[in-house]
Amino acid sequence: MAIDKITTAAITDGTITSSDLASGAVQNQSAFKNIIINGSMDISQRGTSFTSVTANTYTLDRWLTSGTGYTLTITQDTDVPTGQGFAKSNKLQVTSANTSPSAGESLQYQTRFEGQMLQYLKFGTSSAESLTLSFWVKSNLTGVYCTEFQNDDNDKTRGANFTISSADTWEKKTITISGDTASGFTNDNNRSMRLSFGLMSGSNTTGTNASIANWVTRSSNTTSIFPNLGVNFCSSTSNYINIVGVQLEAGTSASDFEFLPTDVNLTRCQRYYQKSYDLGTAPGTATDNGVGWTSGSGDSNGNAAFLPPFKTTMRAAPTVTGYARDGTSGQGSYFRNGASGNGTLAAHMYGQNSASIYIGTGSGWSTSVIAAHYVLVSEL
Amino acid sequence: MISTVEKSYFMGEFKSYRVTYDNGIVSSVPLDPDNTDYQAIQQWISEGNTVIDNPPE
Repeated sequence: MAIDKITTAAITDGTITSSDLASGAVQNQSAFKNIIINGSMDISQRGTSFTSVTANTYTLDRWLTSGTGYTLTITQDTDVPTGQGFAKSNKLQVTSANTSPSAGESLQYQTRFEGQMLQYLKFGTSSAESLTLSFWVKSNLTGVYCTEFQNDDNDKTRGANFTISSADTWEKKTITISGDTASGFTNDNNRSMRLSFGLMSGSNTTGTNASIANWVTRSSNTTSIFPNLGVNFCSSTSNYINIVGVQLEAGTSASDFEFLPTDVNLTRCQRYYQKSYDLGTAPGTATDNGVGWTSGSGDSNGNAAFLPPFKTTMRAAPTVTGYARDGTSGQGSYFRNGASGNGTLAAHMYGQNSASIYIGTGSGWSTSVIAAHYVLVSEL
Repeated sequence: MISTVEKSYFMGEFKSYRVTYDNGIVSSVPLDPDNTDYQAIQQWISEGNTVIDNPPE
């Protein structure tokens, strides 16, 4: 039988032996045990406050909204559970109430996973690992909430509930679900699974609870996506929820949260989003700090290019959003023979490690310098 | 939300999509099926929207 935790007592009484340690029977002690990236909510490259947030909006790194029928303000907050080591949390505040969501409306706060990151869970085999989710949560709105585990490769869902018992008080929650022995994950760099906090749901996605006990087939009208959901988080603009310390790991018990060094956490996030700007500078800001540039001549079509090496290998060839030095989106800056200005920015020769970013400088000119900021996105 | 999509050419070859979003942001999207913005463009096209195509002469 697997042993879930190393404790002093377990070592003293011989429950854990050297052979246990060597065999791997002691679970959850390995580095990078947390499947979730940025569960500490420390990294927020896009900014620290996001207003008028609606559907499908990335906020803190690796976290996004899903569903429709809500308007939120989402912030990287300094309210954290005392004595747990967290510096930031993720706060969602309702800014436009929806007291009666229509059938198809819902609010999920979500993170997503590549299939190749999940192979060791052995889903789709008789050895499928259980999953344990742990997190800290605080809200003014007490009641029964949902989490959803969604298998994108096989359109299946598994739901679980947690209860916020005391208003305005940090509480730690732990949820364990069995692995799916029937359906696995494709071994590639595309989206295979999502984890969502279910905060609001219309009748299309709540009302039954089949997914509590088993992985079940999922569609947009599966009423057990949010089983037993007892709250409508969006019912009032007074409602907020803070979340931090989100950890998803193999096994049947929750181990202590795995704190990664900030640089390691940032690099893991940059597989999906990175930028030329300093960390604290929002894209579109007029600044030269960190700007990508090169000197040389334009080609016969009036373009000049530079190839920034990416900070880390990205999940897939990224979308490139460029900004001129003055912050204008879709443009870059040039300086030529005493003149300067902005030209159209685009990219080609995309790869996971670099792309050629080129700027229209006008034909017949010998360009001396081009410069632009860029944001690279390869989200799931 | 996508506002417009235009084919982007480099040295006479179609190399990427230039996408303008409702919020004014302009992005260059690779022709890579693994890129989710590329996937969103294909969905947008399937819904009956038209890509602007002005190939260089």
